[in-house]
Amino acid sequence: MTVGTTDSSTTSPPSTDEAQRIKPPLLPPLLRYILIRIGISLLLIWGVTIVTFLLTNLVPTDPVAAILGDRAAADPAIVAATRERLGLDQPLIVQYFTYLSNLLQGDMGVSNQTRTPVLQSIGQVFPASIELGIGAILISVIIGLMLGLASALNQNRFLDHAIRTLSLIGISAPTFWIAAVGYYVFFFKLRVVPGAGRLDPWLQPPPRVTGLYTLDSLLAGQMSTFVNAFGHLILPSCVLALFTIGLLTRFSRSSVLDIIRLDYVTAAKAKGLPARTVIFKYIFRGALVPIITVVGLAFGSLLSGAVLTETVFAWNGLGQYAFRGATTLDLPVIMGVGLVIGIVYILVNFIVDLIYGFVDPRVRVR
Amino acid sequence: MKARLPHRVLAIGSALALTFGLAACSGGDKGGGDASDTLVAETAFNLKTIDPHRQFEFTGSTIDNAIYQTALEFKDGDQTKPSDGLCSFTMSDGDKKMTLTLKEKDAKFSNGDPVTVDDIVFSFKRLQGLKGNPSFFLDGVTVKKVDDESLELISKKPNPALPYILPNSSIGIVNSKVVKENKGNTDEKDGAEAFLNENSQGSGPYKVDTYNADSQVVLTANENYNGPAPKYKRVVLRNVSAETQLTDIQSGQAQVAFDLNSDQAKQIDDSMGKISSLPSTKSLYIFNNTDKKIGGPAANPDFRKAVTSAIDYDKLTELAGEGSQRMASLVPNEFVGAVPKDQAPERDLEKTKKLLKKAGYKGEEIPFHYSSDQSVNGVDLAQLAETLQAQLKEAGINLALKPAPSSTQLDGFRSAKQPMGIGTWGADFPDPTNYNVFIPGGSVAERVNWGKDGDPELTKLAEAAEKTEGEARDAAYAKLYKATADTGVWIPLVQPVNTVAVGSSITKYVSNADVSFDFAKAE
Repeated sequence: MTVGTTDSSTTSPPSTDEAQRIKPPLLPPLLRYILIRIGISLLLIWGVTIVTFLLTNLVPTDPVAAILGDRAAADPAIVAATRERLGLDQPLIVQYFTYLSNLLQGDMGVSNQTRTPVLQSIGQVFPASIELGIGAILISVIIGLMLGLASALNQNRFLDHAIRTLSLIGISAPTFWIAAVGYYVFFFKLRVVPGAGRLDPWLQPPPRVTGLYTLDSLLAGQMSTFVNAFGHLILPSCVLALFTIGLLTRFSRSSVLDIIRLDYVTAAKAKGLPARTVIFKYIFRGALVPIITVVGLAFGSLLSGAVLTETVFAWNGLGQYAFRGATTLDLPVIMGVGLVIGIVYILVNFIVDLIYGFVDPRVRVR
Repeated sequence: MKARLPHRVLAIGSALALTFGLAACSGGDKGGGDASDTLVAETAFNLKTIDPHRQFEFTGSTIDNAIYQTALEFKDGDQTKPSDGLCSFTMSDGDKKMTLTLKEKDAKFSNGDPVTVDDIVFSFKRLQGLKGNPSFFLDGVTVKKVDDESLELISKKPNPALPYILPNSSIGIVNSKVVKENKGNTDEKDGAEAFLNENSQGSGPYKVDTYNADSQVVLTANENYNGPAPKYKRVVLRNVSAETQLTDIQSGQAQVAFDLNSDQAKQIDDSMGKISSLPSTKSLYIFNNTDKKIGGPAANPDFRKAVTSAIDYDKLTELAGEGSQRMASLVPNEFVGAVPKDQAPERDLEKTKKLLKKAGYKGEEIPFHYSSDQSVNGVDLAQLAETLQAQLKEAGINLALKPAPSSTQLDGFRSAKQPMGIGTWGADFPDPTNYNVFIPGGSVAERVNWGKDGDPELTKLAEAAEKTEGEARDAAYAKLYKATADTGVWIPLVQPVNTVAVGSSITKYVSNADVSFDFAKAE
């Protein structure tokens, strides 16, 4: 029995149901969300390993044919030795678990063609794609959003029509053609950008830290190398950005037009808020969520390599590496690149989902 | 609604514009590097390795030519006459025994070690033991050290081709001591490939500085080379597509381009550079499967002869570009054993008509296979296939084009289940014995089901040619390969031209049939 003057509700222990209701969660909601997403992502990555492995092995061609010359291919002993060396003499299920087990130990296999570890090669080519992808996405976001906003704010006026036409050209012009023409005009004719490659051929790359030449040269204090690497980045980034600019312009235009008609925007205008505040704090912010989705997908696509742009500009990135692996039927390379691209998309989507919460309180994790 | 851009946006925009402007101006900036002693060469890589005893592709061979010396050489690119390299040689015992005597006694590897007979013996044995693509070069050859001055190569059968084989860069001489210290071996347990890719062990004019099989390989001068020091101390070989190579040569960004086709080469005028056109050592041909179940009409000798006389060969040489040649057999015109090109077949549609009637051909479609992504010395195989389809259509022969990526096509061809298609062959060494794979029972002949007993007459001719020695070999092999071409199992199409574009900054260079471009002799 308890006697007292204080309010029982503050002193008596809560019932079991109440205790469960008010019990603080073990983990903060955001952390819990992140952990769940990481778990799902790992499952997805495992799924990606199965899909890439199966699809790669379904190709109806013997990879040994792509490795051996005619004379060697005619010698059964050499063919058998090559199959054994590559593990192709094992049942498919054994090959998969060997691959998975090696993968868990950080071993993505060795290229059938160059005998270089796939992880090592991806470590060399992926930073090149990241550098190019970042350059292209920065240009795309800055220009695409500005054009989209300007287009929406001037709906059905001359500027709107002009921007929409330009964005259509950006989306529909073939990248390979733009790259070739751009290289010819801006490098060969006008000489305003340097030639192909990530650096002038007579320059040594900066000491490797991140693999991004611009960043590494800055870290090493090599300003001339930085300027050179940055110069080499401009044209391929711009070429690669053209499509994304077109896409973002159209998408941000329609997104802004959706928001501009909403009541809260009308209310903000009626309150007499400055136009800049209404545009950037009300309209633009409201339009940002779908735009972020497109930016995320575009960035994932850019990071996955751009074969044609990389080919014209001799930019040795993931796209060229994947293309070479595919044409020479280099199975470990194809699987390695497939896995990396899968991880890139999963990671980018994960980050995009997190950004949603910061931009839009309605989808914030509670 | 109108709004001015915020000042922050303008400031960021201006900063970016300034940075872009500065960087863009770096177009001609050398960035502190020394461009004058660097030679920039470009090719579309097919690089797998630069371990000499494993490499078997153009890019690897081009690099190893600059890094490794060989026992014998082709002086000035004359592939009809092997001459002394690191060694001098004699043939004896009916071409079954070759004695090599170390001649270049001052030759040194890049680390300063002298080249010895032990290094040569190890290199030959390693090539054989690795069981890689180039191992066949010394098939059936026993390598034996005689003393510190000489070694012997003993073949079971007469091997007159051996002097033509040894100059190949796949038989480069490596520093055996260092290679052994780095897991090098003379059998399949060898583990020195990765080491040799990063640390070349040759005695040639260059050594490897950096190696990346996907992007570029940098060579630097070997200070211990016993020949004249190369003018260019650094060679950068970059992986660049043919389209970009053209712009780079025109602009002076690169000094050598290996992959231009004849149309692209025409765009280079004298102010931009020079074009070196050499007869290619590659042959393009049509293959016909001899198995009736697989080849269908193509297995019929009369049908094959009809196809041979239906082709407009002049148009094909036009397609292959200036300098390409007709072929009367699969052996390139410059090789011993080549059939004179004036014996090459001509287009004769009347003859075709009669032969088709004799063969009982009713116009049925024949699957025609080729690599859709392959180009041989600038000849696009897809374009060649389409041209052949159109030419044969005029003669009443219907081809159903079956394009496939190279690796898929190669696999299909090797399975011996393709009735007809385009084949290519690049000479491994400039001797007619390199083409015995096309004789019934040979490894390539098996791909069209042309077994050992496929043509007894040809087998007799092959045996006779094998027994021939000296200058008589030329006629004996020419007779063999003319008879082979007459069967129509292989229809020689064209010998393309090997085009090397050299930038205007290079005033002296050596480019010949042996080495497309000699980096060490460029000035």
